[in-house]
Amino acid sequence: MTRTLSWFFSMLALAAMLLLLGIFAWQSIPVWQHDGTRYLTGVKWFFRSREFGALPMIYGSLVVSFIALIVAAPLGFGAAICTAEYLPRPARLAVKVLIELLAGVPSVVYGLLGILLLRDWIYDVFARFEPLNGDTLLTAGILLAVMVLPTLVTLGDDALRGVPAAQRRAARALGLTRAETLISVTLPQAARGFGSALLLGFGRTLGETIAVFLVVGRQDNNLPEHWLSVNKWLESGQTITSKLGSSETNIAYGDPLHWAAIAGLGLILLAMTGAAAFLGTSFGKRSDA
Amino acid sequence: MRKATDIAVAAVAGLCALIAVGILVGLVSVIARRGGPALSWGFLTEQIRLVGASGGIFWNLVGTLILLATAFTACAPPAIAIALVERVWLQNERGRRALRTFLYTANGVPSIVFGLFGFILFVQWCGWGKSWLAGGLVLAMTMLPTVTVSLIERLKTIPPAYIQAAAALGLSRSKIIWAVLLPQSWGGLLTGSLLALARAAGETAPVMFTATIFAGATLPRGIKESPVLSLPYHIFILAQDSFDPEVGSKLWGAALVLLALVFVLSLIALPMRLKIHEEANL
Repeated sequence: MTRTLSWFFSMLALAAMLLLLGIFAWQSIPVWQHDGTRYLTGVKWFFRSREFGALPMIYGSLVVSFIALIVAAPLGFGAAICTAEYLPRPARLAVKVLIELLAGVPSVVYGLLGILLLRDWIYDVFARFEPLNGDTLLTAGILLAVMVLPTLVTLGDDALRGVPAAQRRAARALGLTRAETLISVTLPQAARGFGSALLLGFGRTLGETIAVFLVVGRQDNNLPEHWLSVNKWLESGQTITSKLGSSETNIAYGDPLHWAAIAGLGLILLAMTGAAAFLGTSFGKRSDA
Repeated sequence: MRKATDIAVAAVAGLCALIAVGILVGLVSVIARRGGPALSWGFLTEQIRLVGASGGIFWNLVGTLILLATAFTACAPPAIAIALVERVWLQNERGRRALRTFLYTANGVPSIVFGLFGFILFVQWCGWGKSWLAGGLVLAMTMLPTVTVSLIERLKTIPPAYIQAAAALGLSRSKIIWAVLLPQSWGGLLTGSLLALARAAGETAPVMFTATIFAGATLPRGIKESPVLSLPYHIFILAQDSFDPEVGSKLWGAALVLLALVFVLSLIALPMRLKIHEEANL
């Protein structure tokens, strides 16, 4: 009885996840038939003229996540080094509690702070580049950096503490300073864990919806001439998640092709975050932070 | 030179930690300063009036609590079941690893994707319209990995001697589960659930298409077409149009209440969670 119930509910959960994947794959079929791979590489999204190109949104998602990780990684890993290597146990626990609390702040609250503070700040600081407003890809990226910080600190701290203490003692006994021990003994061994933290953080930032939605400006079809050019960073953009969260989702249902384009965005997002989560967990060790 | 480097590295690391903690303190103080003036007993017990410019957030709080209760009820049975399968019923290591990979991958699924899934499945196909039950079930899906992993970690810490003693008394596996494993691990279920509930309380993306509207809902009657109000959705809608100063102060007040709810839920769970986390890493 207990055994049957356990398997029943487990299979139910598994079935729900498979159904989720199946629904997004199945519902997006019309757009793949209509556009093929041009759905992925198309640069124009005008649903009234039935043009569905997802590339600007893929670009937007990648750019905001990239900015977030570039800003948050040094800060987060620095903080992780401090908690794991320098702080005595009570202080360490106190910092970890605060970081866990930071992780719990709802994304809509971050979005609110982004709207009322960060947006104006970006507008003022980058005034000489003459942005049209403060709702830019850069704003979303910086807001995401704050949001992903706790993930990086917690996972980085785990990675460092996974290195056996005996190795540090051996290095210190050889006369290395703490910094030298850190750089030549601890960090190389924690590198995999740091990589895994970055991948998992990347998955988080790709999937974050509400905060990004509120500050990214939601301007369709914003794609630079060259992939590496940064001048679009100070313009409004659109990410996959901000598109999915918009009212267009409600409009689209009922029009099979338009809906398929929306479901297709969900599928792309699932593929990207799934890959990041899968690589991140098989690369490193744990991911419940 | 070596000494200078040593000090510099420590200083930089310390500075990073200070900034990280400073962000939290700054964030909370901004919200408390702006939201504090709006708080009063009436704010918590009255309903919205004038598109959020007046009145309180009573039904938003109630709606959020309804969603959380539903999510917890729907999430607990599968979480316990999966944890038991992982710890007790699956005996080969490959199966276990596959199950854990499944959990971690599910944990990486963005909440908006769960929201759209619920929108297709419950709102459209089942014809529920926006419903508290749809929102609760979607939130349960977002919570499931966290709760399950916490429960599994807890089950791992039960001393093998307990199980051996029970087995020596001739108890079957399912008897051992009911007599030893579950009573010993309810704390894990509780901490995991509180933490997941804290996250779920602030989630907007899963419920915006499935469960919540901005105004005009009270207690749901039945399942079909019975939406609720909720705190995060309230903030989400007002934040997009926050020029009226009266709305502004109520908006920050709502944010402060939501933040307090989330912090209380996570603070109850934290001591136990940190303890398990630390022990697992020793």
